[in-house]
Amino acid sequence: MSDERRLDSELCGDAASYVLGAMPQDEHRAFVEHLKGCVVCREEVASLQVVVSSLPAAVPQLPAGADLKRRVMGVVEREAREQQAARGIGASETPRRARRLLPAGLISWRPALAGAAALAVIALLAVIAFGGGSGSSGGGTRVFHAQVTVPNASAAVRVSGGHAALSVANMPQSPSGHVYELWIKRAGQPQPTDVLFTVSNGGAATVGVPGSIEGVSEILVTAEPLGGSKAPTSTPVIVAPLTT
Amino acid sequence: MQLVYRGNAAAFEVIYDRHADAAFSLAFRMCRQRALAEDVVQEAFLSLWRSNARYDRGRGSVRTWALGIVHNRAIDALRRRAVRDRGLVDDEGIEERLPARERTELEFARRDEAREIRDALEQLPVEQSKVIELAYFGGLTHVEIASMLDEPVGTIKGRMRLGLTKMRMALGDPAEVVP
Repeated sequence: MSDERRLDSELCGDAASYVLGAMPQDEHRAFVEHLKGCVVCREEVASLQVVVSSLPAAVPQLPAGADLKRRVMGVVEREAREQQAARGIGASETPRRARRLLPAGLISWRPALAGAAALAVIALLAVIAFGGGSGSSGGGTRVFHAQVTVPNASAAVRVSGGHAALSVANMPQSPSGHVYELWIKRAGQPQPTDVLFTVSNGGAATVGVPGSIEGVSEILVTAEPLGGSKAPTSTPVIVAPLTT
Repeated sequence: MQLVYRGNAAAFEVIYDRHADAAFSLAFRMCRQRALAEDVVQEAFLSLWRSNARYDRGRGSVRTWALGIVHNRAIDALRRRAVRDRGLVDDEGIEERLPARERTELEFARRDEAREIRDALEQLPVEQSKVIELAYFGGLTHVEIASMLDEPVGTIKGRMRLGLTKMRMALGDPAEVVP
């Protein structure tokens, strides 16, 4: 009998420790593997799990308290709103189609030929998609879909009454030690804003664009060190042209 | 649960209201500190909300599943923060300090089942109930329990197995305490 098989057989009989959550991590991993091939242990786990599942009822019951509910529901309701906003973005197929046509590398940080070409194609697609305007409108709100370098992520800027908000969906967390920073571009170089943000576990976030958007040609997002930067230190992950 | 997975906050609130007290009670029994217990419950329910933990109908009720998450989070918290080793002051007797209004809201609907389970646990030989309590409510591994009680690991595992088997026999085929 090999050492491995002997070790495996020794795990038989450990079901009680397993269902009680009392196994050290390495033994737990080994036992989970063992369970895949041991019918006897699987049956014992199922049998004892019923008892363990009843143990919480044996403790004195206490109210969780209103403050805890407020804390939990505060997070949940905020994230629900973010998810709804993100789903609003995802409803359009246009950004995905545009991304497939435009390799991420075409979105260049410096105003190079590639970047200009990319934006030209974006504008063309937008004209096709929205019948003459780059932003979809409804009820005085215009939506500008952004180019995102991250696969499966999407972003859009909603403009209403001269002000704008950026919503993102399926974005990864910013790299360790970094946050996302919002930039505004009129003529010349992008200008920093005080908008630094992270995304929810679901990859969603909605942030307001500070000030008026009059004369703004692009909204950009880069990953910057905590505290933000005065000038971009990385290639934008989001470029939203507000062409009209 | 499908509504919760779709991001329906109202559906989540129903789940929270149904199970939060039991979740907090378990977390408090394990952590013995209100603040830590609340953190554990918050973490567990947000995990549930964010679908980091997926409910499998075939493996029991939502309550069993939710309390399983709470239990795992509490163990993580206990092991991470090693609260039991720091000698921090417990919040024992918290139920006596609760405002009267909250006390009247304590959930007694399942007390018969709870008493039955407590009886089954208390009727075990003390060395068996002790290892079960240390493991399940104390978050200790069988290695830690063996060290604490100065007994071989095999003995501790055997007591766990015997104790749970006896409880199973005493409880018959316990239905889910809560649907």
